[in-house]
Amino acid sequence: MRNRKLALGAIGLAVAVAAALVLAFGTSPGKAKSTGAYKVAWILVGPHNDGGWSQAHVDGMNYVKAHLGSKVQVTYKENIAVGAQFSQTVASLSAQGYKLIFATSYGYITPQIAAKYPNVLFEQATGTYVAKNVSEYFGSAEDTIYLSGMAAGAAAKCNTIGFVVAYPIPEVIRHTNAFTLGAQATHPGIKVKIVWTNSWYDPAKEKKAAQSLHAAGACLLGQNVDSPATGEYAQSVGIPWVGYDSNSEHFAPKAWLTASVYNWGPYYLRRVKAAMNGTWKPGFYYGSIADGLTALAPYGKGVSAKTKALIAAKEKQLRAHPDLEFTGPLYDQSGKLRVAKGKQMQVLKGGTNSLYGMNWLVKGVIGSPKG
Amino acid sequence: MRFTVERRLEQPRWLSVAVPVASVVFAFLVAALVLVATGHNPISTYRQLFDAAFISSGSLDQTLISATPLAFTGLAAAAAFRMRVFNIGAEGQLYLGAIFAAAAGLYFGGRGHASPWVIALMVVAGAAGGAAWAAIPGVLRAFFRTSEILTSLMLNYVAGYLLTYLIFYSESYWRQTKGFNATVFPTGKPLPANAVWSAWVLNTQGGITVPLGAGIAVLTAIVLWVLYRRTRFGFEVQVLGDSEGAARYAGVRTRRKILAVMAISGAIAGIGGASQVGDFAHALDGDPNGLQKQGYGYSGIVVAALGRYNPFAVLLIAFLIGGLDNAGNTLQGASFPSGLVGVIQGIILFCALGGEVLVRHRPRLLRRASVGEATPLSGAVQ
Repeated sequence: MRNRKLALGAIGLAVAVAAALVLAFGTSPGKAKSTGAYKVAWILVGPHNDGGWSQAHVDGMNYVKAHLGSKVQVTYKENIAVGAQFSQTVASLSAQGYKLIFATSYGYITPQIAAKYPNVLFEQATGTYVAKNVSEYFGSAEDTIYLSGMAAGAAAKCNTIGFVVAYPIPEVIRHTNAFTLGAQATHPGIKVKIVWTNSWYDPAKEKKAAQSLHAAGACLLGQNVDSPATGEYAQSVGIPWVGYDSNSEHFAPKAWLTASVYNWGPYYLRRVKAAMNGTWKPGFYYGSIADGLTALAPYGKGVSAKTKALIAAKEKQLRAHPDLEFTGPLYDQSGKLRVAKGKQMQVLKGGTNSLYGMNWLVKGVIGSPKG
Repeated sequence: MRFTVERRLEQPRWLSVAVPVASVVFAFLVAALVLVATGHNPISTYRQLFDAAFISSGSLDQTLISATPLAFTGLAAAAAFRMRVFNIGAEGQLYLGAIFAAAAGLYFGGRGHASPWVIALMVVAGAAGGAAWAAIPGVLRAFFRTSEILTSLMLNYVAGYLLTYLIFYSESYWRQTKGFNATVFPTGKPLPANAVWSAWVLNTQGGITVPLGAGIAVLTAIVLWVLYRRTRFGFEVQVLGDSEGAARYAGVRTRRKILAVMAISGAIAGIGGASQVGDFAHALDGDPNGLQKQGYGYSGIVVAALGRYNPFAVLLIAFLIGGLDNAGNTLQGASFPSGLVGVIQGIILFCALGGEVLVRHRPRLLRRASVGEATPLSGAVQ
């Protein structure tokens, strides 16, 4: 009997709380706060504090906020999957009045999504899909990756560098090639061994990849994935490391050499301002060292003064001529000449001999470009 | 004083409604403590959650995107678990369903057949793909007494790698190979228009888009209910689930039942995969950061358990959890970490599942003197 009373009491409580909830939600919230601030959102493929790719975009978001203050309202959505979750997130942002969305990974924006939200402006990093309300942006990180490769080649005390890579797609292949060419510039004949993780952000897999590369004889590690797990492993076994995306020196200060980093802030600020005053136009932006989108992070102790001077000279050259490192003669892994002497590869034109279509690895890379 | 939990002699009907409601209310109270501790206002958070899941215009469309696959994987788990065959492989069976259905859509759609035929063939192909994948652990369990929990789970990883292989690591039939964009990043070949599943638009405020898959899930639930409640097959499955020994005495063919139940379960998950292709992606999604990150197959197990393996309850739970899932995307942001969203969703699911104990059992505080009286009673019920 007592139990029944208790249970009835519980139901009574539940009903009361439910009624309170219904009353609370009876009025429509959501559009309640309209401060007039222009709303901009970033969609991230990993956590906002991944120490790499996504963090660099959040830094860019904070840059926009710092410059425009209360004129903008900014937010980010982290760990968003391509497909269903992305479309749910865009629906939610659009319903909350977000007008400009930076989708920071390839595969997010599809023609269906772009058509479904004609009043939302989209910008997608690393892709090629341009439409009335979709812009694409990225930059020649290969130049700074080449420079970081020079630091790696000079610091390597053996003939094999390990390089942890995400997916066998042209973006990653291009970066791997640039890193290898850079390493070969300061350390002729050096090999770069790669391991694919099949993920942009997976610290556990990245660590395993680093481990296997070290076991296979690599005396220095580099990466084209989003977390600093490779660096943490490098430090634990006492070998140098070249990072990627963000300045992540503090994760492994003893191993740290340098990294190619992104500085998205100025681009974001320009685009947000354009969207706010109605001059936003779709396009394909490809930044460079010269306009500040990409840069080399501060050096660690393992980079000698001589190497720094070599890198500085090369940087000056790349500043004037982006993507100069992809000038022939370039040979693939089998030794076949892929780009003729004096010919420079272009970003979009040239099929598999373009920077965006490259599906072959240069001579000196050990591993398959097919994963 | 001693605290015991004893089995209820009878389970009053009202309890099976009151317990989950009270559990969820309790979960909201616990989660409110977490929210207050992390500096968030629980009332406005919950308000935002319900608004994003079910109330604001367009929210139901988005909730159905999560609810539809969860309904399929929930029904798939319910169909197997009812017989105590623990098919943990709905995730992989869903992928195989997607692969088969995409092949059917690309092939038959490309040959210009009428849309209803193409869609029907995609459903059949999806079911066949899921059933075939589920048959592997089914056969191993039926003939070699291998634990289907382990084998079906392991096959999920195999299916995931297969899916990625078809789009990322090979130039397969499913992969888009034409055009420059296709070389920049691997994507699935888009379905022809006659293979895209049409949705119903219900004209209530703002219009609600109901995917065809949601309708098929409802039909599947009805068929499953009839099969398990109104046929000899269903009766035998239930007997087998309750007592394998008794079923064998009664002449039930255990192996056949295991195979059949695994195949049915896999087929339902496979149709879920077909719906992913036909309703939502309109291509095979092999991106490890896409379909595979959603984990619909695993969430389906929770959906089935909360629905107590009743097909109609599974639909309702799939809808509610789909809402919770969808609302998470609205809640998280610069001032609300996505980890906290996971904590809140976890508390709600944990309390809802934990509360289930109270439907069949009741907690009692016993005074020392009465311990002797109570023990034989609770023992006798076992």
